[in-house]
Amino acid sequence: MLFPEIVVAGCGNPLFADDGFGPAVAEELGRLELPDTIKIVDAGLGGPHFIFTLINPEQTKRLIIIDIADFGAQPGEIRDFRVEDLPAGSYRDIHSWDLTEPLQRLKDSVDITVIGCQPRRVTAPEFELGLTDEVQEAIPRTVRHVLELLGVDYGMAIKNLRNEGQQRETGRETCSGEG
Amino acid sequence: MSKIVEISPTTRHEGHSKLVLKVDDAGIIERGDWLSITPVRGVEKLAIGKTMDQVPKIASRVCGICPIAHTLAGIESMEGSIRCEIPRDAKLLRIVLQCANRLHSIALHNILILPDFYIPGTDTKINPFTPEEPVRSVAKRIQRLREIGQTIGEIAGGEAVHPSNPRVGGLYKACTPHAKAKMYDLAKEGLVLAHEQMEFMLAVLNNMKKRDWTEVGGKQIPLPKTLGYHNQGYMAAHPMYASSNLDDNPGWDPQRWTDVRPWDWYMGEGEVSLADPSYPIGGTSPVGTKVNPQMEACTGVPLYDGAPVEVGPRARLVKFKNFDEKGTWGQHIARQLEYTDNLYTIFNALDEYNPSGKVLADPIPQGDGSMGWAANEAPRGTDVHLAKVKDGRVLYYEMLVPTTWNFPTCSRALTGAPWQVAEMVVRAYDPCVSCATHMIVIDEDKRIVAQKLIQ
Repeated sequence: MLFPEIVVAGCGNPLFADDGFGPAVAEELGRLELPDTIKIVDAGLGGPHFIFTLINPEQTKRLIIIDIADFGAQPGEIRDFRVEDLPAGSYRDIHSWDLTEPLQRLKDSVDITVIGCQPRRVTAPEFELGLTDEVQEAIPRTVRHVLELLGVDYGMAIKNLRNEGQQRETGRETCSGEG
Repeated sequence: MSKIVEISPTTRHEGHSKLVLKVDDAGIIERGDWLSITPVRGVEKLAIGKTMDQVPKIASRVCGICPIAHTLAGIESMEGSIRCEIPRDAKLLRIVLQCANRLHSIALHNILILPDFYIPGTDTKINPFTPEEPVRSVAKRIQRLREIGQTIGEIAGGEAVHPSNPRVGGLYKACTPHAKAKMYDLAKEGLVLAHEQMEFMLAVLNNMKKRDWTEVGGKQIPLPKTLGYHNQGYMAAHPMYASSNLDDNPGWDPQRWTDVRPWDWYMGEGEVSLADPSYPIGGTSPVGTKVNPQMEACTGVPLYDGAPVEVGPRARLVKFKNFDEKGTWGQHIARQLEYTDNLYTIFNALDEYNPSGKVLADPIPQGDGSMGWAANEAPRGTDVHLAKVKDGRVLYYEMLVPTTWNFPTCSRALTGAPWQVAEMVVRAYDPCVSCATHMIVIDEDKRIVAQKLIQ
């Protein structure tokens, strides 16, 4: 079985600055001890190709995608989206010829949430390594948010991330589906 | 008088490319240019000064389809430079990872090409997503083969998309006896399915070889018996896995490689003078569209022994197994023949693999700046990475990816075909265009003559 009940996929390309947000969150989540029913995947650019077209709705019930999204907010702000909120062409399999999108195929049988982070800088097609400070600071918030969505209580270690000065208090933190 | 037709973008492959075709009055291609229009990027420049552990990870991000090939070729080019021999058990798991990845890739490519083909004995084209038999069972089998490939790859490689287990010097972790047994079981299931799928595809391909025409955009287009033939050579470094400068008999030679600039190879300025709005998907480019392949092409043209070469499954079979079928159909047949080869190679590697063996070299040299290279036989062909490492840092790095080799060869293979079937010729190369887009051009004296066309 390639994918268990819950799949969390960090999508994006770390070679394009803030586009590396999804893989960076996946890396953080990968450090945590999580139940066997949850799989964290650094999907890179291969989400549609290696994951979304291979998810079997009989096994996988929940898919959380972490990515950057331009929704006109301050850089580093995160927001939940449903598949219906996404513009046409998001996560289209690059091989697709009939313009069908794998998430559209899955959305009625799998509970899909896309956690989008507003980027400051995406450099494509030019390469640049490293996230901007604002997006870097969204990582612990996103990790906490994923754990909340999954109902995993990771105890004090995660809650205390906020108090360890690892992120700036911006007063504009949004972790849930306010959009 | 010749006319120009442009198909842009080409579909059912990775990345953005297009076809500019000079055709005669009957619509037969006199000269075809297939070129990448994916913007140029400079991973080679980015690599300089990074650690030898970082660079293969960077290389694996240039494309969403080929991270395994780039990870392995990247790491092994570093090992070639620092002269690091890895433990046998690490090599065996890398071979398992490679073959699992290729198994997935062939199955996926089946889905991409099947709509060009007919159910044998009928005039019905194959829609891989139809709920009707017999195609539904085929689609399910393809999905299962993909799953098996990805699952074996995940066990051997640590992660299924960007493999985390391979590292310079070997692997981070060995596989347990339990993991070995699981891979073996999956491969056994895969072998039965791969045999069935190969037989199905060969039946479909042999049926197509006998056909005189195919339907494109509502028209019957004649199929030449020599579709996709070319007179270029073949290049393959190893029958299944890879070769590097550390081998006793290396399968690739950097001295035989040169590059030419796209403006010395592709057609110059022109204007589209033939258009067909009924061509799938959305028609060809309208009459009057300006084309300039020389300036639009986003890749250099690599040559081996001074000429373009074909890389990929057929090249491997020609070089190592006396395969002699030419053209588009021959290329497809060669790819299907690799289905079971992957699984037998996995069995052999697992039989030899010792779960208690060492998987990391000790010590790992840090390099003196010597040149190293690795030529990985990726699903699409020879993926050559070259590196110089000194004190653990990368001084020089270059990627020569399969589709870059195939662009000029495939362009020549278009001659003589009706323009409407040009995309079928392209698809037989299973192109991956975004990795192919690197604009470093080396001349015969190994000097860099052009680094970026589009700034």
